[in-house]
Amino acid sequence: MTTINNHQDTNTPVTAPVITSSKQPLSTTKSADTQSVLKRLQSELMALMMIGDSGISAFPEEENIFCWKGTITGSKDTVFEGTEYKLSLSFPNDYPFKPPKVKFETACFHPNVDVYGNICLDILQDKWSSAYDVRTILLSIQSLLGEPNTSSPLNTQAASLWSNQEEYRKMVEKLYKPIAAAA
Amino acid sequence: MVTDSMTNASIPMAVKDFAKKKRANRSAKLKQCKLDARREQWLSQVKNKGCKEETVHERDGSDRSMENLEIKPRGKTNEGSIHHHFSDLDSPSNSPSSVSGSNLSGTNFTGSSGSSSSSSSGGSCSGSITGEDEEGGLDDWEAVADALAADDDKQEQEQHNPSLEPLVENESIGPLDSPNLAPEIEEVSEAKPEHVEKAKRVPPNCRAWKPDDAFRPQSLPNLSKQLSFPMNSGRRYGCGGGAWGCKSVISAPSSCPICCEDLDITDSSFQPCLCGFRLCLFCHKRILEDDGRCPGCRKQYDYEPIKGEATLDGGSVKFRLARSCSMITRS
Repeated sequence: MTTINNHQDTNTPVTAPVITSSKQPLSTTKSADTQSVLKRLQSELMALMMIGDSGISAFPEEENIFCWKGTITGSKDTVFEGTEYKLSLSFPNDYPFKPPKVKFETACFHPNVDVYGNICLDILQDKWSSAYDVRTILLSIQSLLGEPNTSSPLNTQAASLWSNQEEYRKMVEKLYKPIAAAA
Repeated sequence: MVTDSMTNASIPMAVKDFAKKKRANRSAKLKQCKLDARREQWLSQVKNKGCKEETVHERDGSDRSMENLEIKPRGKTNEGSIHHHFSDLDSPSNSPSSVSGSNLSGTNFTGSSGSSSSSSSGGSCSGSITGEDEEGGLDDWEAVADALAADDDKQEQEQHNPSLEPLVENESIGPLDSPNLAPEIEEVSEAKPEHVEKAKRVPPNCRAWKPDDAFRPQSLPNLSKQLSFPMNSGRRYGCGGGAWGCKSVISAPSSCPICCEDLDITDSSFQPCLCGFRLCLFCHKRILEDDGRCPGCRKQYDYEPIKGEATLDGGSVKFRLARSCSMITRS
């Protein structure tokens, strides 16, 4: 054993760079984190494209895989039927341990969406779990459209109008700006 | 798809090789080609199968009926066609009767083709075998074709042929008494109906890999993760593919659902939560540093007994701390 140790000692110049790099945990863990986030996002993208859910889609912005654009279509038999909404998803560096920031880019008249597009959805805040992914987020938002939580609204006008579905539908149509026109 | 084309390329050579076995020089060359192609194929697949590959090569010339049985379970991972051409090797070289036996078995199986979940890719492989087979055993094929009252159209034969492959598997899975295999084949050439019966009996086993198959390589889920493979395997193994898909997702994910890295042996035996949600040790440690809730059920990990720590009375918290410490140093 001693000889081996000695031998290793003589080799320290070779191993030294490795040791020093591991002595900088901040930088290495940061880049490792980014790597793992990248891997996770890439496999999410792959899964999204393989599954091909109807009514939702998402794709990274051109040069930044940490920023995605998603689209949601209003479910059938809801006041949002026939509408399509664009969302932005911004992933933190510690994704998936922290949720992405999700906003409506297209104006959405909804009790739990404010005029800036912010969404009040528990799984995007305190109920987030790292087992959620882009797909489940978009599906959750899609189902939120048809089943709003009117008890804690961001848009009180929408919340009070929700009980009258016919009027609500008119309001949705009136305020709806299709993605193409909005862009 | 790469592997597919490789197999297609290698198998005709292999079959030709054995059909014209007496041309020693040429067959030696072709054999080498075949071996190379097959080695590449296997190398691209599971490493731990390498050793088996060697044994296959060594035994190539001897005792083939035994070999069929042994190769089968593994061959199915790669391509049904690999062991298929082994069984085909039997025919030309062993005895005339067994030639007709294997051919007949193919046609027989066509009768019960309802059970053949064989796939397009497998089909194309066997198709190429037919083409080559005709050089060596043309008469037999014609006889078979007559027996079937099928026309001589090659395409027709190729359509029948895919069913050859599942049958061969069946033979191997069904009767495990290998010494009897050769006699059985000879019988078959005389008493065809028997064989039909057997073919019909066995189909429940014809799934390429049973989920609980001891030979099923652990890396199968990994393979299916590759970009092109999932589609292939789904098509190739029909209903079987779906079954493993579910199985691998539910009971033993091959990669951590949080970071998408492959689970190593330690990770895959790691069951941090009663809800069954699995993740790698790194992500688990990361979550413990954070809110410490299981991503699958949102319960606190602390309240969950951890498997393997049951012997430490009330020491699970300590143990976990120690583990996270060690992981910190490691990272």
